[in-house]
Amino acid sequence: MNPVLPTEAIEFAATAAKAFAALGGVDAARRAEEEPARREGEVTAALAAIGAGDLDPRANPDSLAAAAALCETAGTVALPFPLVGTLLRDSQQRPFAVVPEGLWRVDHGDLFPQWRVASLTGGDTIAAANAAPLGSRLGPFVTDLHALDRPTGDPRPLDATPHPDLAIHLTLTAWHILGTTGRALELAVEHVQGRVQFGKPIAAFQSVQFQLADCSVALAGLRELACFTLWRLTAAPDDALTDALALRLHAIDVARTVLRTTQQLHGAAGVCDEYDICVLIRLVQPALRLPWGAERTTEALAEAIARHGFEGLFPHGLASR
Amino acid sequence: MDFDLGEQAATLRTRLRALIATAIPEDYLGAFTNDPADLDVAQQFCQRLAHEGLLTIAWPTRYGGGGGSMWDQTVVREEMWAHHEPRGAQYMGLNWVGPAIMAYGTEAQKQQHLSAIAAGTVIWCQGFSEPDAGSDLASLTTRASVDGDGYRISGQKIWTSYAGMAQWCVLAARVGSGERHEGITMFLLPMDAPGITVRPIRSMLGYHHLNEVFFDDVAVGPDAVLGGVGEGWAVIRQALAHERVGIARYARCERLLSALGAALAPHWHDLPASLQGQWAKALVQVRVARLLAYRTVHAQATGEVPDVLASSARIAVTQCDQAVAEVLCQAVEERALEAGPTAPLYGAIEDHWRYAQAATVASGTIEVQRMIVAKALLGPRA
Ligand SMILES: Cc1cc2nc3c(=O)[nH]c(=O)nc-3n(C[C@H](O)[C@H](O)[C@H](O)COP(=O)(O)OP(=O)(O)OC[C@H]3O[C@@H](n4cnc5c(N)ncnc54)[C@H](O)[C@@H]3O)c2cc1C
Repeated sequence: MNPVLPTEAIEFAATAAKAFAALGGVDAARRAEEEPARREGEVTAALAAIGAGDLDPRANPDSLAAAAALCETAGTVALPFPLVGTLLRDSQQRPFAVVPEGLWRVDHGDLFPQWRVASLTGGDTIAAANAAPLGSRLGPFVTDLHALDRPTGDPRPLDATPHPDLAIHLTLTAWHILGTTGRALELAVEHVQGRVQFGKPIAAFQSVQFQLADCSVALAGLRELACFTLWRLTAAPDDALTDALALRLHAIDVARTVLRTTQQLHGAAGVCDEYDICVLIRLVQPALRLPWGAERTTEALAEAIARHGFEGLFPHGLASR
Repeated sequence: MDFDLGEQAATLRTRLRALIATAIPEDYLGAFTNDPADLDVAQQFCQRLAHEGLLTIAWPTRYGGGGGSMWDQTVVREEMWAHHEPRGAQYMGLNWVGPAIMAYGTEAQKQQHLSAIAAGTVIWCQGFSEPDAGSDLASLTTRASVDGDGYRISGQKIWTSYAGMAQWCVLAARVGSGERHEGITMFLLPMDAPGITVRPIRSMLGYHHLNEVFFDDVAVGPDAVLGGVGEGWAVIRQALAHERVGIARYARCERLLSALGAALAPHWHDLPASLQGQWAKALVQVRVARLLAYRTVHAQATGEVPDVLASSARIAVTQCDQAVAEVLCQAVEERALEAGPTAPLYGAIEDHWRYAQAATVASGTIEVQRMIVAKALLGPRA
């Protein structure tokens, strides 16, 4: 038993953190919102410089762990780039995306001429951007894709076996969410120590401390589950999708409460773009809501458990009946 | 016991809905979008309401109002907020600036300001919060120094809603050497006075909502003081009490749940069962928030001082705002992040989610409301 992420992954994340800091941290995301074209040049160069292109999370557990740590680090700055998708690119450099069955919506979908997409029920389809990004405050770079290799009008996947990269995609996205959420807690800790009201730092108020403590416990649990899921992807590949769905669901739940609490602890500053917390919360929304939000994920997870069971000390699902 | 608001309230509601249906575009999301036409809609609507005697329907008749009941006022608040507050920023003048001037103003101030508010032509902003005075408002430091028989005001306000479009400001500043609540004085001053600078703050709510306001040696006469030097805290308390019941957030929550429910009806059973359940729970939560708001209004109507009730209602209402925002977003699934007129409910869902995140901070944080409720439970010495 060893729950610790490999040292190389931790070191790789530290290198990535330096590179992202050199881009200005969250300022890179602010610049991208002002000038979407900047995503390609500066972020691609930074990723290339740290050797992100050499990672293949499908290849072995170490590469998977390094990819996860990289995604987490990207989450801390809302890196304006489809990192998870490009880590799972195919031999023709097409990034991979998991899409909802209705509309094929992908964050930063406009950045690549072609994508390989799959939905929960299967599929492996080549797709391309259909329109300009949404440009909204909660999903500025979210872009609709359409199928290239079969008639449009029928977005449903052709076959019904889960794509082999689906579980990895969900897992790495959860690591990205973990990064954003962990950073939000750090920002709140800094803020409440510096912010004085009623003659003392608001960190001195016990209700503030309790809120931070609850966030910290929630994040600790999410981190353990994220590490466990990485291990399970290799150790129990047959359960990969169930485990990845469980991680996704928990990541969404934890993010929702931790982001809400940490934003609240910032007072009005929490809704203001000059503060990193606000930008992080806005720009993580696509990861939380695409390809599906909490309730749709819950539904998929319950079905997966019923069919395939769930790891634990006792049997679950059909197998247990 | 009877929870029916009565015939008069029902008639008023019908009338307001009919008016909104004709005067407000279906895709209207309030006055503070990037489209200046939306502000014009609000300004015109206020004048129309004024013309029909509806703008100040709840003001006393001696101030030119309709003498309506608290319940009429409640219906107005509900219908306005439900339909994206088509009065724009003017709701503040009607809800509390006017009543504060009625309660604390001189005859001359009443003459000057009440008729302008009632005509639906003037926007007010509220200059209370400062960079270092948020929850602890009594620590504010903007200073009004005596200068002849008037004052010179210097300092900074922050998070001032609508400051960029306002003609007037109710400003809290400090006069003399009194500390904390003592010495706080309220001023009514025109936003075009020399020495006032407004800087917009980019926020999740959009670009035209929050502002910083700088006061650099702004000269005002003695007639700018509202309610006596050093008496400002009483005005603030009244303003905040009005604010706590001022925004019927539950009404928009319910309207959006209803509108989306109707839109989703053919596909209702495609929604995950857990989401259908959350939808039902949200409707219950909205009802409870509305009932707590009604209990506060009832207490006010019968003359009690309902601090703890108002705070309880506000906690429930703001929590309901955030819970419903989440349910709505999940219900439209991959379209949740879409904004603009082609998005679900013309972008109202995305808009609601962003605004709801600030609900537990604006007009005093939910934590401050909790302190008030706890104090009522535990007594002042706790
Ligand atoms: C949308 C919006 C519109 C606004 N419009 C106006 C306006 O028009 N005019 C105006 O004057 N102001 C306005 N405000 C400001 C608003 O009144 C303040 O934001 C609010 O009072 C909180 O102050 P703050 O932001 O400085 O947060 P802070 O007071 O710094 O609070 C930060 C966090 O600490 C918590 N906290 C503080 N003290 C305690 C304590 N003792 N115990 C436990 N927790 C504590 C708070 O609850 C919060 O979570 C607006 C704010 C918003 C979000």
